[in-house]
Amino acid sequence: MADAMGPGSPAGGSHESGGEQSSPHSNVREQDRYLPIANISRIMKKALPTNGKIAKDAKDTVQECVSEFISFITSEASDKCQKEKRKTINGDDLLWAMSTLGFEEYIEPLKIYLARYRELEGDTKGSARGGDGSLRRDAAGGVAAQNAQFAIQGSLNYISSQVILSLTILFHFIQEY
Amino acid sequence: MRQAGTYSGILSGGISGRTGPHLLPLARIKKIMKKSGDDVKMISGEAPIVFSKACELFIEELTQRSWMVTMQGKRRTLNKEDVASAVAATDIFDFLLNLVSESDRSGVDATDHPLEMDALIRS
Repeated sequence: MADAMGPGSPAGGSHESGGEQSSPHSNVREQDRYLPIANISRIMKKALPTNGKIAKDAKDTVQECVSEFISFITSEASDKCQKEKRKTINGDDLLWAMSTLGFEEYIEPLKIYLARYRELEGDTKGSARGGDGSLRRDAAGGVAAQNAQFAIQGSLNYISSQVILSLTILFHFIQEY
Repeated sequence: MRQAGTYSGILSGGISGRTGPHLLPLARIKKIMKKSGDDVKMISGEAPIVFSKACELFIEELTQRSWMVTMQGKRRTLNKEDVASAVAATDIFDFLLNLVSESDRSGVDATDHPLEMDALIRS
């Protein structure tokens, strides 16, 4: 638990006043510790009925909670890696940690999400990487379903669209990193 | 580009497109992961992608549970006390108890109340 307290708690109170101030110092720290409030807000709004409103203090609290969630899961996954004498935390470790810590319901949607991601990634990189064994096997089902959709549209169309998609995805990732 | 619809779920990034195909920025997620502990050094490329979706599910769940509290109070604006109540009422959110009760106190005195904190955790 002590490990999991990392980003959120020590300055939880002081963050409250740091929200949208333009002080360069607080901005640097914000960027290290939290996901952007605009993204958080967008996801929160999606989860509410259209007449629902969200106070700024609620957004700030959820923003802190998300960082705490990432640390909580990561610490558990990291412990597992240390016990197994592995140096790299992978996707399977995180899924394992989530199911251990009570977030079993996230596993299925995450596997579906990963399957779609891997299909796109496989197209850009040519071949699949090893290392995330069980997930990759599950991914195959999702890939097959996606491919079936494309088969209907004709193979030429399929190939050209895949090239464009791959480039788009690659471009986004280059921007991100 | 007309094929984008097929992938709209995974392709739709932020308004500016800065977040790529994911709703949350992967580099930022990685930074937060690295801050989780000194022993977190190497992170596979896929790990932040898992988190980008997991955080989305987490935010949705926390928001929906908080909104139920808002509704019970016959209000239309979700506030941080609703989030704190939702956390207190949900077992899997126990790890957030310290954080939300600290937030409750901000402005007054957000620090040392070990006894009260213990009582909150036990309740």
